[in-house]
Amino acid sequence: MKLLFTLFISLLCSVSILSQTKISGTIKDKSNQPLPGANIFIKDSYDGVSSSVDGTFTFTSEEEGEAILVASFVGYKTFEQKLLLDGKPQTVDIVLEEETTELGAVTVSAGSFEASDEKKAVILRPLDIVTTGADADIYSTLETLPGAQQIGESEGLFVRGGSAAESKTIVDEMIVQKPFYTGVPDVPSRGRFSPFLFKGTIFSTGGYSAQYGQALSSVLILKTQDMPTQTVSSINLMALGFGGSHTQVWDNSSLSAEAGYYNLDPYFQIQKQRVDWVKAPESFEGSMNFRYKTSETGMLKAFTSYSYGDLSLNVENLDQPDLRDFFRMKGGNYFLNTNYREIFDQDWVFFSGYSFSYDFDDMDIAPNRIKLRETLNTGKVTITRNVSSNLFLTGGGEVQNIIYQDVFNELEGKLNEVYLAGFLESDIIITNDIALRLGVRGERSKLLDKINVAPRISLAYRLGTFDQLNFAYGQFYQTPAKDFLMWTRDFDFEKATHYIVNYQYIGTGRTFRIEAYYKDYSQLAKGNVFTHPYFNLPDVEFNNGGKGYAKGIDIFWKDNETFRYGYYWLSYTYLDTKREYLNYPTLAAPPFSTPHTFSAVFKYWLNDITTNVGITYSFATGRPYFNPNNPVFLGDKAKNYHNLSLNFSYITSIFNNFTVVFFSIDNVIGYNNVYGYRYSSDGTKKSPVLAPALRTAFIGMFISLGQTNPF
Amino acid sequence: MKLFLCVLFSFLVISNTLADDKYEKAMKKNLSKMDTTNSAEGFVEIANGFERIALAEKDKWLPYYYVSFCYTLASYSEKVNAAKDVFLDKAFSFLKISDSLQADNSEVYTLFGMIAQARMQVDPMNRWMKYGAEADKNFTKAVKLDTLNPRPEYLIGTGLFYTPEQFGGGPVTAKPVLEKSLDKFNKFVPASDIAPNWGRKNLEGMLEQINKKG
Repeated sequence: MKLLFTLFISLLCSVSILSQTKISGTIKDKSNQPLPGANIFIKDSYDGVSSSVDGTFTFTSEEEGEAILVASFVGYKTFEQKLLLDGKPQTVDIVLEEETTELGAVTVSAGSFEASDEKKAVILRPLDIVTTGADADIYSTLETLPGAQQIGESEGLFVRGGSAAESKTIVDEMIVQKPFYTGVPDVPSRGRFSPFLFKGTIFSTGGYSAQYGQALSSVLILKTQDMPTQTVSSINLMALGFGGSHTQVWDNSSLSAEAGYYNLDPYFQIQKQRVDWVKAPESFEGSMNFRYKTSETGMLKAFTSYSYGDLSLNVENLDQPDLRDFFRMKGGNYFLNTNYREIFDQDWVFFSGYSFSYDFDDMDIAPNRIKLRETLNTGKVTITRNVSSNLFLTGGGEVQNIIYQDVFNELEGKLNEVYLAGFLESDIIITNDIALRLGVRGERSKLLDKINVAPRISLAYRLGTFDQLNFAYGQFYQTPAKDFLMWTRDFDFEKATHYIVNYQYIGTGRTFRIEAYYKDYSQLAKGNVFTHPYFNLPDVEFNNGGKGYAKGIDIFWKDNETFRYGYYWLSYTYLDTKREYLNYPTLAAPPFSTPHTFSAVFKYWLNDITTNVGITYSFATGRPYFNPNNPVFLGDKAKNYHNLSLNFSYITSIFNNFTVVFFSIDNVIGYNNVYGYRYSSDGTKKSPVLAPALRTAFIGMFISLGQTNPF
Repeated sequence: MKLFLCVLFSFLVISNTLADDKYEKAMKKNLSKMDTTNSAEGFVEIANGFERIALAEKDKWLPYYYVSFCYTLASYSEKVNAAKDVFLDKAFSFLKISDSLQADNSEVYTLFGMIAQARMQVDPMNRWMKYGAEADKNFTKAVKLDTLNPRPEYLIGTGLFYTPEQFGGGPVTAKPVLEKSLDKFNKFVPASDIAPNWGRKNLEGMLEQINKKG
């Protein structure tokens, strides 16, 4: 009873005797700038106030005894301090520490261009890729970024003095063996993947993560879309063909199917072609995409595609001018990529993936018949552990089994490669201003019976809120091309060492980057192979003694601020490179390199006619070509390259269905670009390597059924 | 003893009511400030007030809801795009808490839709595909959860009102949707003095604009 009474009294007291404590002070950031609008309050009470413009605050609290003062502000770490509230006025001066938010945070970024709709502080958006250039191809957009060369007569990315074989495409963490449709001589083929498949793209021009290998120059990392949000069907009508797609969305899963048929014949009837087509390219492709949300944080993805194409043409024969060589190519590709990602206990990220591809090409190059078969099975597992807010560890491994079967008339070659790799990488945020990425990758090739260990280091140092300095160093290895290994396996890995320094500014509307690099090539494969490009040269024995270097400066400027409905980017590439490989008799600048490359991309939204206009201008100095009459190997240079292309996307609705009409023209000014020259065996006759047509135009209409407007 | 326990019990009840009183009073005080500002700073200050209540009353969904609402409004008043996103991140994280405290609430899903709308407006060209669909999905759910709630249609109508006619928007398309919302506003009775009850004034403004032209 007595106890209860005491309890009662004390309860009463706690309510009735209200003493007040006045709390005042200032709130600033580390650089002594006041923070207006911060929330300062006593924990678990209503008592508190927002700081004023000069960072000061004053409030009274009716709480008593020990209490916790909390200060919070968007973009800063929450501050807590114990206080004794006893009626006496108190002064507290608070200094808030910045939180590592995305904007203004230090991130390891040397050598990479990222397009993403997830991250805010990135250079490009996925849409930028769709609306650049004339053909809405991922790879031709990347050619407008510094570091890449403008190559108009063959597919692939030529980055910083590297050949196309030195750039690899990675879809959902796994390497894609054949990211392009098989090309025809002097006609570049498109990338296999539609830009719409991806939510994020990282184009790395050097110094990339230990998670990726088998690429001496560059990796293109593509991340596929997650669950689509709505069920929708679409019809695509083009001058070149037609197609359709359907996406069905359920609660936790989705399925998309897409198919298309293309035939270039009608278009070639209208637009004069320089290529003597016997059968214009005809192709079919289909793909399916499945998504299943296994939990709040887990996702299973599967993508599969099939494509088939057939074409034939006559090619000029320089040795016998009255003869034309018949060339036919038919082939196809089957591709499957499936993967699963899950976050466990908030700090463990688990990824596993499996990918399969089968590629077949049958070529008739009269009188020869060539059959190429390539099978790839690859698996990858990655585990990321978030050790603390300042330390991430990533480890994993991958295995690839590649089977090549080449048939050249009666000659048959077969290779069965098993490639194993393991990697470990740590991302360390040393202070708010310094981030370090340390990685190591070990690889083994069964064919070569060799192993390598490649260290990689990247460092980022933040100078201010928007700018930072980056450094990167790394060693990169690649197995020599199968054309060498068909003859002998007495090779080691080819090797490149990258050194990169970069300064970048990413403000809210403008981006500036300048990057200088040095790349050292060694152990490049040498020898005469089936595809050896230069005849009349002395034979070269197979060996690993090739070498070379590439150095240069890449500059990039993007401005989203100046124009209300438009933006532009400019890029400039300076490249100095020489190499000795294949059957090169000496160090020489390879034909896919040129010292100066410049691109300007401008996009503008015309509100009155709901049309997005894109203008792309590219310039490159002339590239070296092989002239057997010139004693200096690769000593001749083609003329400078110019290209101006336009694209228009007109947005409208047709019978209440949201519709985009796309129109583009490549090489509007009709500049006659010459990529180089081809010579007859005796060197007396030459013929220029030209684009398949002076100009190309494209028109297409994409209708989203049942969707009235984009908003 | 019995008597005493009775007294104690009634005292506890009273102190509880006093606490509820204090909560309602504080909420109302903050709500009354909503009409007094149009600036991002002003909305952040009111959000701060709601946040203090939210953190002290961890089981109530309304304070979290209003923190989220204030940050969403702040994003509309803010001019720097990057800052808009920061506000919307905050709005989203508070609304998630609100959703976890009060599952399947029509008002909460309306606000999820509004946040998606605001995200889209930061960068419409790049974001309409993702956030347009997300806004749609949330508004549809909000209507399903409470067919009497006038706010989902108000926001759908607002979206249409500001969408160019070429894209299937414009005042003519927006009008029937806004009128439907007004109809619901006329019948709407908020659950309490502090329950969500916003939007009518703007809606009437828009309809007036449409009718003047028409």
